[in-house]
Amino acid sequence: MIVNFMKNSWLKVAFLLLAISNNAVFAADTAVDNPVSAKQVVAEFQNTLIEVMKHGKELGFEGRYQKLDGAVKKSHALKKIARIVVGREWKKLTPEQQAELVKVFTELSVSAYAYNFKEYSGESFKFVSEEDTARGGKIVHALLVIPDDSDVKFDYMLKKINGQWKIINIIADGVSDLAVRRSEYTSLLKNQGFDVLIAKMKEKIKNYSK
Amino acid sequence: MMFYKNQKVHEKRLFATVIFSLFLLLSGCASNDVADQAVSDENTEIKVSQPEIDPYEHFNRKVYVFNNKLDKYVAKPISDAYLWVTPQFVQTGIANFFNNLNDISVVLNDTLQGKLDQGAEDTGRFLLNSTVGLLGIFDVAKEVGLEKHNEDFAQTLAVWGVPQGPYLVLPVLGPATSRGVPGAVVDTASNPVSYVGFPVQLLSMLNSRANAEGSLKFIDEAALDPYVFTREAFLQHRKYLITDGQAELSDDALDLEDAFYDEDEETETATSSDLLKSDSGQENNGYKLQLSSDTENLDQASESFEEALKAFNEASRSYQEASEKLDQLKR
Repeated sequence: MIVNFMKNSWLKVAFLLLAISNNAVFAADTAVDNPVSAKQVVAEFQNTLIEVMKHGKELGFEGRYQKLDGAVKKSHALKKIARIVVGREWKKLTPEQQAELVKVFTELSVSAYAYNFKEYSGESFKFVSEEDTARGGKIVHALLVIPDDSDVKFDYMLKKINGQWKIINIIADGVSDLAVRRSEYTSLLKNQGFDVLIAKMKEKIKNYSK
Repeated sequence: MMFYKNQKVHEKRLFATVIFSLFLLLSGCASNDVADQAVSDENTEIKVSQPEIDPYEHFNRKVYVFNNKLDKYVAKPISDAYLWVTPQFVQTGIANFFNNLNDISVVLNDTLQGKLDQGAEDTGRFLLNSTVGLLGIFDVAKEVGLEKHNEDFAQTLAVWGVPQGPYLVLPVLGPATSRGVPGAVVDTASNPVSYVGFPVQLLSMLNSRANAEGSLKFIDEAALDPYVFTREAFLQHRKYLITDGQAELSDDALDLEDAFYDEDEETETATSSDLLKSDSGQENNGYKLQLSSDTENLDQASESFEEALKAFNEASRSYQEASEKLDQLKR
């Protein structure tokens, strides 16, 4: 019996992780004069998520996609994330393949957001604290408060890229989005090759937009 | 999950599981201690540590496919029917009821892990919910600030220093590690649901499957490789539970930042870390063997590590002496 309890709890995290942090989109890293703090980057992104959820029904899939597309690209170090996700396999890809991977990955991530953030039932994000990492990055600790359910711990890892703070990873109750994704993508690339990986990603995008 | 289980086979299965788990525990100790050490590196060294964590991937994937079919054709249809006929407030009450029974095992494991304050809190939780909460149907303890804790015997074993062992996908039960198998046996034994009649057990299974519905659907929709996704999320979340969410993030963050930098200086980092690994291999071996013979006692482990180092030094000294003698002979 207990195995089932255990299972439920990690499944819930798996769900939330995917639902909330299906991030990773390519963005042009342009420097901006007025620096925004790491905390603000996270807060702004979270606000957009909640807004999209609140108006999920009226917006429809397309509307949600449009709104989230900009928000995700703005707040995430997406080219880097795409590279980390395929790990050492990145160097084995041709420049054309690399470009296609980033493009499809972008589309998949935003689609996943648009598909999953379609309704609102009182969720909210709460800022907890901010922490510096050894290598000059920052971690923003936050909580996702869900009515009638236990809080979920969200930890955002940020890096300063071209003078701007960008999210490079989201960790939900100890489960790292980047690490899970990296295992998935490297395993697929190694065992089934680039074309199968891209085909699988495109299939997911199609299912989301249905 | 566990849909075929009934009273008659229960004892038999329990026995078989104990034997099986002993076997796994032993084999796990002998060959896979390094898996736990590798866990902290798993973000940067995924490829290196993967064979250690999931050496039975081929077999595990087969069980995974079997479990999925069992779920699709047996568990899910029944669970869907349950969700369809049962009002939400009844579902919540039933989930609370089983959560409350699970608190007995939580208190036990709090105590075994030496978390006495948390144990007292969870005892209060159980008593309050069992009385005011009408046998646990209402989670009144949460309203007064006593949050549910997640503890089980596999976590206790981890706290005691038992190595994680390889990742396993068990038929019907799903993801586990070899440490999780004896864990599940003790957890089952410490849950009252295991001793009552079949209808209650069936309800418990329905409740578990129904609660997982959203997540399972989600994994199905989103994961490119559901097997790998499930494994990684499961292992990471277990690690998080074992440490109660403390002191994990900074390590994780460092690892990921390493991965982040790795990309730019790939070849250099790869070769140097590989070299480091093979260099320390000999010492590690000694450490590992000692550790498996007495995992709980950290002091002894560090002592044996020193001994292993000493032995290693002695070996290299005698090698030097031997080569010196050879040189003298040549002259």
